[in-house]
Amino acid sequence: MEENELEQQDRRDFLSCLGSALACGAAAVAASALAPPATAATAATAGAKPPAIPGYDWSKHRWGYGVDATKCIGCLRCVEACKKENNVLGDAHHFRTWVERYVYLEGEETARIDSHADPVNIAASGSEGEYRFADRYKDAKVEKAFFVPKLCNHCTHPACVQVCPTGATYKTEDGVVVIDHTYCIGCQYCVQACPYGARYFDERRNVTDKCTWCYHRITKGLQPACVEVCPVGARIFGDLNDKQSPISQFVKNNQVQVLRRESGNAPNVFYVGIDKEVI
Amino acid sequence: MPRHIVRLVLLMVAIGAVGYVAKIFFTADSFYEYGHYRGKSVAEIASDKPKYKGSEYCESCHAERFAEWSKGVHNKSDIGKVVKCEVCHGAAGERDVRGMFEHLATGVDHPNKLKLVVPTDARKLCTLCHEKMPGRPAQQPQIVVASHAGTQQCTVCHNPHSPKLNLVSTAPTPIRGDAARGKAKAAACVGCHGAEGVSVNLPGPSLAGQNAAYFIAALKAYGTGARDNPMMSAFAKGASDDDAQDLAAYFAALKCQSSLTAEKQAAAAGRATASKCIACHGADGVSSNRAWPNLVGHSKDYLVAALRAYKSGSRKGNMMAGIVKTLSDAETENVAAYYAGASCK
Amino acid sequence: MEPFFHASPFTGYVYPNETIIPWTVLIVVYPYLTGLVAGAFTVSSLYQVFGFQRLKPVAHFALLVSLCCMVVVPIPLLLHLGHPERAFNAMITPHTTSAFAIFSYAAAFYVILLVLETWFVFRPHIVRQAQQRTGLLGWYYRILSLGSYDLSEKAMRYDRKWIFTLAIIGIPGAHGLHGYVGFVFGSLKSREWWSSDLMPAIFLFSAIISGTALLIVLYVISCKLRKVPVDVPCLKGMAYALWGFMMFTLLLEGVEFASLVYRGREGIDVIMEFVKGPLVVPFFILQFGVGSVLPICVLTFLIWRGTSGNTLVTAVALCAFLVLLAVLMMRWNVVIGGQEISKTGKGLLSYHPLIFGREGLLAAAMVLVTPLVLLLVMVRLFPPWDEDTTLATSAAGAR
Repeated sequence: MEENELEQQDRRDFLSCLGSALACGAAAVAASALAPPATAATAATAGAKPPAIPGYDWSKHRWGYGVDATKCIGCLRCVEACKKENNVLGDAHHFRTWVERYVYLEGEETARIDSHADPVNIAASGSEGEYRFADRYKDAKVEKAFFVPKLCNHCTHPACVQVCPTGATYKTEDGVVVIDHTYCIGCQYCVQACPYGARYFDERRNVTDKCTWCYHRITKGLQPACVEVCPVGARIFGDLNDKQSPISQFVKNNQVQVLRRESGNAPNVFYVGIDKEVI
Repeated sequence: MPRHIVRLVLLMVAIGAVGYVAKIFFTADSFYEYGHYRGKSVAEIASDKPKYKGSEYCESCHAERFAEWSKGVHNKSDIGKVVKCEVCHGAAGERDVRGMFEHLATGVDHPNKLKLVVPTDARKLCTLCHEKMPGRPAQQPQIVVASHAGTQQCTVCHNPHSPKLNLVSTAPTPIRGDAARGKAKAAACVGCHGAEGVSVNLPGPSLAGQNAAYFIAALKAYGTGARDNPMMSAFAKGASDDDAQDLAAYFAALKCQSSLTAEKQAAAAGRATASKCIACHGADGVSSNRAWPNLVGHSKDYLVAALRAYKSGSRKGNMMAGIVKTLSDAETENVAAYYAGASCK
Repeated sequence: MEPFFHASPFTGYVYPNETIIPWTVLIVVYPYLTGLVAGAFTVSSLYQVFGFQRLKPVAHFALLVSLCCMVVVPIPLLLHLGHPERAFNAMITPHTTSAFAIFSYAAAFYVILLVLETWFVFRPHIVRQAQQRTGLLGWYYRILSLGSYDLSEKAMRYDRKWIFTLAIIGIPGAHGLHGYVGFVFGSLKSREWWSSDLMPAIFLFSAIISGTALLIVLYVISCKLRKVPVDVPCLKGMAYALWGFMMFTLLLEGVEFASLVYRGREGIDVIMEFVKGPLVVPFFILQFGVGSVLPICVLTFLIWRGTSGNTLVTAVALCAFLVLLAVLMMRWNVVIGGQEISKTGKGLLSYHPLIFGREGLLAAAMVLVTPLVLLLVMVRLFPPWDEDTTLATSAAGAR
């Protein structure tokens, strides 16, 4: 009888032990689930006070970007302007925007691709801080060739934001994916996650960096620096909410494409004049 | 329950509580304000000072250049082709960078302490857009550098603020003159320009073999006073369009004769300087465009006088004015000797 | 001055920003260490939960190995971070959609679990030391004992139940943790080499074999150091486990690779070029040949022939050592290999590790040695060998 009671006691104790141990374990996990307070989800959409940007209300805009590859001449003024405007590292391994060249030679099925960061093109420009496409195909028979400017796609479902462990990178209400450089821990998970190679690690500041569509310019009514300097109008930027804006007209009047649609990221940089080889 | 287990559970609860308090305490203010990020960072990122200011910023001080540019082909906003000032001259603003962090609205602007680039190597700059290359759309004006300009700088012929050349369009193209009629009318010219258009120690230049289009344009320039010479102006005013056409046809058909007075040594030295001329006037003094004068057959003295006239401004011509500025007196002499020594073919 | 960064040479077309490989040799070490944790814990659980009595000699040792490796896991991550001082941002405001943020919580939870289990297992030892020792170490044990010297039968019964429970939670915990590391890589759709549903499973099984192999090696070395004979049935038990799990791992890796090739999605040409070129030595020769096929053949031969004695001990230890290298190569081939294949699918990069510096080979080697040094200290503080210092806690014992 006594033994029996002891056993029962044991069982109860065991269960309570199991319970408390499980609870302790669960507590740690639960803490993460608890993390975003209930207000977080609603605050973003409700009539919360917009960020303190003088003369700008982010709820009134939805920015979009267009690239007309049929117009691009590969002069790389955009790359230079971007590096300058945003204090980007001045070498051949850090770009917020870059330009690719696709060349089909006669008799070849796939395109030859290079960017201005290719050693041949760096040799032609003279240094990594200057940008120029070398006329490397002048002796070959070129069947078709074109330039494709690249930049961050500011995706609707950004893979980089999804994987950021801290919330240092996020998508603003007006559709721009930005990085909070004072909060980034520099794990570079987002660099890995971006299918477009748009992100890079800034070794001076030890944080990740990428294109912001020049958020400091567009919130002041200016164009992004790359759009500002493009001499042929190959880069188009504007507010998708405004039906008369250049980008709305561009999307409306052209059959636009996006890059890597299958990634599910839903990019917001719209392309015209690219073909199957563009990656 | 045994004491050690009670204490352990209490300890774990305490650690958990401390952790939770720490989380709340250390969570940056404004986090979760709009979503899973620091709400204040939005305004911080937006606060950066823009560096590129747009062409309008330049207009107030550089109105003349701005006007020149805004009328030219580098500002064709109707087709979206606009080469703004900062594309070639660099950003007009600068942003302070304090330590490694930005989000700063301070920094110097041009003209305060920030000097802008005045590109010196136009060959390098202009070819970024205009070098012929596969991949550039056909509507983009492109050149093969070697055959277009040799080693010449683009700015010799083109004004970068309005680079399209107007020479070709102003030259009267169809030559409907008659050489036989022209021969009769040329009797008045012989006194200064020599028989058969070859002037030897006469006041006027040789005209034999001169490009007809240029000839007509030059005569017209005398007529309107754009070129100033009392004698020639009188003649030109008396000459009709038909006269000009006939004379042009006559002189163009004549064979030129090289001046033999050119010193050999100076001519050789002039070859190097002539690299500045050959894009338009050819290595042998025969111009690539009929609207431009041939230099072959002219005397050295005449060529020197012409160059000096451009230099002093008494003879007008944007392009030539730009070139003669770069010529020293010795170079002027030498290059004149070089073309005077060129042989007529 | 140390160079800012180290750009990698490339062939074909790669995105300009890709030329600096983001995740270096430290991120090779990180999954390797978590793998060792999970593997060692598995061996411990086989005894604690499933009652494999022949593993008793290493069961408590395995726990210490697991703990020593686990506390070192954050070090390579912290070394790799651009701003290690901000690392707690990931725990203060964890982004629930990020595999990394959740990992920090999972890892913290698992460290707590390991510490608790070790504490319970060594409590009799702690209490005895607290009563006997004086000085600094005495204080250390007294704090650890939480001021309670209760070693009564009732208290022991409680402890056994806690141990049993923790071990049960620990199995999905350890395996979940490491499977999760696989998910960290496998969930990235940007890299074809990583983007696989099998990644967690492969990571898990290779983790188990690496942990088992580490225990074999450390156990044999510790026996030599202590000058006691190796417990052959125990060693054999671990060798069987190693053999079985290795078969499984090889099968999974084979299936994964086959499906990658068979699906033949965009960029497969470059992947095949990679497999036939730069991957030949690290993968086919080192990981697959020397590290997997050779040990399997030797182990099969040993089991078949019923070898015993010193030959068995030496051969098994050598096989285990090869397996340890193979798993390290596997981590290398996954982490570095994945980044050497460009996201463009049209180019290959080649990673050249630095020797010195924060992310150099030397730092990685030091991180790998740290758990062993820790272990050296731990086995002195908590001797896992003596029967009477620890709580006998197999499944049978708890009942």
